[in-house]
Amino acid sequence: MKAKAKSLKKNAPAIPILVWIGFLVGVPLIFVVVLSFLSRDNLGNIVFKFSLDNYKRMFDPIYLRVFANSFLLAILTGFITLIIGYPVAYFTTRLKAKKRSFVTALIVLPFWVSSLLRTYGWVILLGKTGLINNVLVGLNIIDQPLNMMYKFSTTLIGTAYMLIPFMIIAVYNSVDKLDRSLLEASYDLGAGKWKTFFNITLPLTIPGISGGFTLVFIPSLGMFFVSDLLGGGRTVFLGNLINTQVTRGRNRPLAAAFSVGMIVLVVLVLLIYNRVTKNKGRELF
Amino acid sequence: MQGPLLSIKNINKYYGDSHILKDVSLDINDGEFLTLLGPSGCGKTTLLRCIAGLENIQSGDILLKGRSIKNLAPNKRSVNTVFQNYALFPHMNVYDNVAYGPRIKKSFKGEALEEKVAQVLELVQMTGFEKRMPDQLSGGQMQRVAIARALINEPDILLLDEPLGALDLKLRKYMQTELAHLQKRAKTTFVYVTHDQEEALNMSDRIVVIHKGKILQQGSPREIYNNPSNLFVADFIGDRNILKVSIIDKDQKYFTIKVGNTTVKVRYSRSHTYESDQALLAVHMDKMKISCQNGANSIQGEVLSIHYAGSQVRTELSVGGEKFTVIEYQNNDCDYKIGDLVFISWEETGALILPMEDIEESES
Repeated sequence: MKAKAKSLKKNAPAIPILVWIGFLVGVPLIFVVVLSFLSRDNLGNIVFKFSLDNYKRMFDPIYLRVFANSFLLAILTGFITLIIGYPVAYFTTRLKAKKRSFVTALIVLPFWVSSLLRTYGWVILLGKTGLINNVLVGLNIIDQPLNMMYKFSTTLIGTAYMLIPFMIIAVYNSVDKLDRSLLEASYDLGAGKWKTFFNITLPLTIPGISGGFTLVFIPSLGMFFVSDLLGGGRTVFLGNLINTQVTRGRNRPLAAAFSVGMIVLVVLVLLIYNRVTKNKGRELF
Repeated sequence: MQGPLLSIKNINKYYGDSHILKDVSLDINDGEFLTLLGPSGCGKTTLLRCIAGLENIQSGDILLKGRSIKNLAPNKRSVNTVFQNYALFPHMNVYDNVAYGPRIKKSFKGEALEEKVAQVLELVQMTGFEKRMPDQLSGGQMQRVAIARALINEPDILLLDEPLGALDLKLRKYMQTELAHLQKRAKTTFVYVTHDQEEALNMSDRIVVIHKGKILQQGSPREIYNNPSNLFVADFIGDRNILKVSIIDKDQKYFTIKVGNTTVKVRYSRSHTYESDQALLAVHMDKMKISCQNGANSIQGEVLSIHYAGSQVRTELSVGGEKFTVIEYQNNDCDYKIGDLVFISWEETGALILPMEDIEESES
C-alpha cells in the first residue's frame, strides 16, 4: 500500500503527459476505429449503424493494389534512403567536431522549410520546362525535354528526399556510438577497411539501420501530397486514397477503415523492428 | 637471430603542437617481457600504438626483424594488440572472436582452424567458453579471450595496453602471475604498458621508464628498483622518502651528509656526477628502522602520527621540518608515541644519493 503510494508520487509528473497523449492520440484513434465500422448516407453523413462493409471493400483487388503500391513505395524509400543515407551518416561521424555540427545542421536544415514548398521545388527541378530539362536542352545535350514527372519513380524520389534526414540521424547515432577500439582491433587482427566495415561496423549498426528504416517506412505510407504533386495521382497510394475518400468521396467511414489497415501495416513493421533490435540489443550492450 | 627483434630508432610523434614522443630509441629482444612504465600521459600508450601501426610517426623508423614497418598498415604488421578495454566484438561469441584473425587472413580453415582456436583457448585456460558471448564473461575472462584472439595470429610481438586496469585488485594480482606464466608458455615477446610500478616489477624481464615522451631508464626490475638513475625514477618506483641534504665530505665510497641537525654517511653511485654541495637523499620507506636510542648513522625526527595497518606500521615523522615516512613490519621494541623524538636508521642498500640537478630536469 505504502509502496503503491510512493510509486504514484514518483510517477505523478507523468500524469499530465499521459492525459495529453490520451487526448491527442488515444481519443482520435478510438474515433477512427469506431468510424470504420459505421456507414454513410448519400450525402456523406455518418449513419450510426454497425457494418463490416468498409473492411469487405478493402479486399477489393483495386484497393489491395493500392496497399501493394504503398508497401512497395515504403520499402523502396527505406532502401534508397539507407543506401544514400548510410555513407553520409558514416562519414559525418568521422569529421572533426566543428565540421560535424555544420554537416548535421545542413542535414536538419530542410525541416525549416515547409515540406509542401520543398515538394514544389522538385516540380521546378524535374518538370518539362524545369531546371534540368532547360539546362540539358539549352546545352543541346537532348532535343526533347525528358519526361521525368508523374511517374512512380518521381514519387519515390520525392518521398525518399523528404525522409532521408530520419535515416541519416538514426544511422549517425548508431555509428557514432560504435567503439572505435573495435575497429582498431579488427585492423590489428589483419582486416582491411572493407573487411572491417562488413564484419564489424555493419553488423553493429543494425539497430540504427532498422530504426532508420522504421522511421522512414511509416511516414512514407501516408505522404499523400508528394504523390499528388510529383506522381500526378497516376499511381494511387494509401495516403491519396484516404485523402480522396475524406474530401472528394465524402466517405469518411471507408477512409477510417483504410486508416486502420494502414495502422495494422505499421504495427507489423514495428513488431519486426522490435524483434531485430531485441535480438541485437542484448548482444550489443 | 641476430640483433634485436624490434628496433625503434629516434621516433618523434606530435599531436598538433604537443610533442608526445621525443626522439625515442629502444631495442626489444626476442622472447622478453618488456614493460613500458610511466605515469598517465607520458607517451607509453602512444609508443605502443606506433608499434602497432595505429599511429603514424613523424620521424624516425621502426624495424621489425631488420625490416622497416614504418609505412605498413596495422593489418600488415605481424604484431597484435590486447586493448585496454579488451575490444571484443560484441556480436560474436568467443569462438568467432578468436577465429577472426585466421578467417580474415585465411591462414587456417575448417578443422585446422578449430584445432588452432582450441589450442589458444587452452593456452589462456578458456576451453569450454566457445559459445559464450562477450557480455556473458567476467573481466578476467574477457581479458583471456582478448589475449587468445591476439595470439592466434602468431605475432612476432604481442602488445598489451594496460590490460589489467579494469580488473579488481585481487584479480589483478592473480592475472599478473598468470600473464608472466602465459608469456613463457606462448614463447612470444610481450610489450606491456602500465602505470603500475608493482605490475611492472612483478612481471617484467626488463622495464623501460618513460616520462614526458622520453625514456629515462631501462633495466631489470631489480636495477630499476635499487638503482634509479634519477629523481623521477626514484620517486616513481618504490616508495621513497626524498630529502634535500647538504654534502659535507666525500671519500672513496661514502658521502657524509647533513640531514636536519645530524650527519650520516651514505654510499653514492659512481654513475652520477655531483657538482653542487647540495644533493637528494632517497630512502626506501620500508628499509628503515625507528629506535629510541641514538645509534650509528641515525637521524633524528619527531613522530607526527602512527598508523597501524595489519602486518605493517606506518609512521609519519618530521625530520628537519620535512615529512618522512617509515614503514615497519615487525614489532618495534621502542614504544614511541606522537610527539616523541626518535632516531631513524636504514639499511645501506635502501638509501641513495642523487644529484641536485635532477629536480630541474624532471620538472622541465
